[in-house]
Amino acid sequence: MLECSNMKLIEHSNQNQQVESLSHLACAHCDLIQSLPKMKLGETARCIRCNNVLYRNQKNSLNRSLAFAITGLILFVISNLFPLLSLKAMGLTQEGTLFATSLSLLQADRPFLGLLIFLTTIVFPLTTLLGTIYVLIQVKMNRINKYTAPLFRFLRSTDVWGMLEIFMLAVLVSVVKLGDLADVIFGVSLYSFCLLILSLSLLSSSLNPHDVWNKLRIVKGCQL
Amino acid sequence: MKNKPTTARLQGLIACHFCHTLSEFPKVTENTKKGELRCPCCQSIIHSRIPDSLNRTWALLIAAIILYVPANTLPIMTVILWGNGQPDTILSGVIHLFDGGMWPLALLIFIASIFIPILKLIILVGLLLSVQLKSTWKPKDRTILYRITEFIGRWSMVDVFVIAILVALVQFGNTASVSPGLGALSFAAVIILTMFAAHTFDPRLIWDIIDDQIGNEKD
Repeated sequence: MLECSNMKLIEHSNQNQQVESLSHLACAHCDLIQSLPKMKLGETARCIRCNNVLYRNQKNSLNRSLAFAITGLILFVISNLFPLLSLKAMGLTQEGTLFATSLSLLQADRPFLGLLIFLTTIVFPLTTLLGTIYVLIQVKMNRINKYTAPLFRFLRSTDVWGMLEIFMLAVLVSVVKLGDLADVIFGVSLYSFCLLILSLSLLSSSLNPHDVWNKLRIVKGCQL
Repeated sequence: MKNKPTTARLQGLIACHFCHTLSEFPKVTENTKKGELRCPCCQSIIHSRIPDSLNRTWALLIAAIILYVPANTLPIMTVILWGNGQPDTILSGVIHLFDGGMWPLALLIFIASIFIPILKLIILVGLLLSVQLKSTWKPKDRTILYRITEFIGRWSMVDVFVIAILVALVQFGNTASVSPGLGALSFAAVIILTMFAAHTFDPRLIWDIIDDQIGNEKD
């Protein structure tokens, strides 16, 4: 159970500019200041007032996340090299890669739609993977520079714009839709794409942003 | 009556959105308009509440509601088979799938493209109105509704992706091809605008009303 903090917090804050944040934190959705209990690995602390997730205590978060991010990057490259799906009809075969979906919208005079697909299926997933690997390696090697915190902040705020798992659902819908019109052939990339979705979701569930921020804070001399 | 809740705002503190550091709100509040406040630990711009949250959310939401009309009336894609083009709107696409016996698919597209966007627009309008009318009705449930809208909104993109995949794959000249319509563009704009609207809405505003009321009762 979480408990409400008391007035000691205020006295503390008057002495120093910042209040130590890890024992006390304000819920992002209802602003209630709460103190975190001692948590076991794998436990999640929720806000007593609005049930928002306050803190997740993952086992070995940084190492696991780094492993999943590197796996994801390799799978991302493979997924982009070969066609995801091919369509065979009337003796013709049409191959579709991930990049071709955005390109075809550009060619069909819908540049904004093409750009949107390009950003959500290629640019943001790639920056998430590359950026996470970069930040985690810096944190692990204790080589944090002034760009680490802004980069990690950018990664956290653009997290929702990588939409590969939604694209996967769209691939399944398309396969069913096209099934009775033509022969749909699964490409090599489709298998690596499935594994990519798996590693991306494992990455987001294993990465504990607090662990990274804690390291960034210590280096900046902010830990009180 | 319960104890007075200890929120960061009532304590004169600002929580950083990213690293969760609590810093003291500057004494001179008049100057804050000019300079942004930054978190002392991670240099992120911090604010007690999202600035102009209600106005910005209304603006984005109204834009989304306006674009929702062309999104549903204009064709999202045209399937050309043997030279004959058949334009489909979102709703007619669902009906065709249903008639073709693919009802699980029809249900999926119906939920993602019709049910979720409408639900999202209604919830966001309701949340904005409830905050502006200073409602104290079930704050926890309203916060949960907010979390649902925030989480579920991006899944509406599935129809846009399906169109993109069909356009890329079905390219057999005059015998069979698919071209994207203006409806798809409006629909994508609706999803993006509502995603931004959910992002600019500050759920803490729901609780501020309750906190202030409890504070007043105590005084």
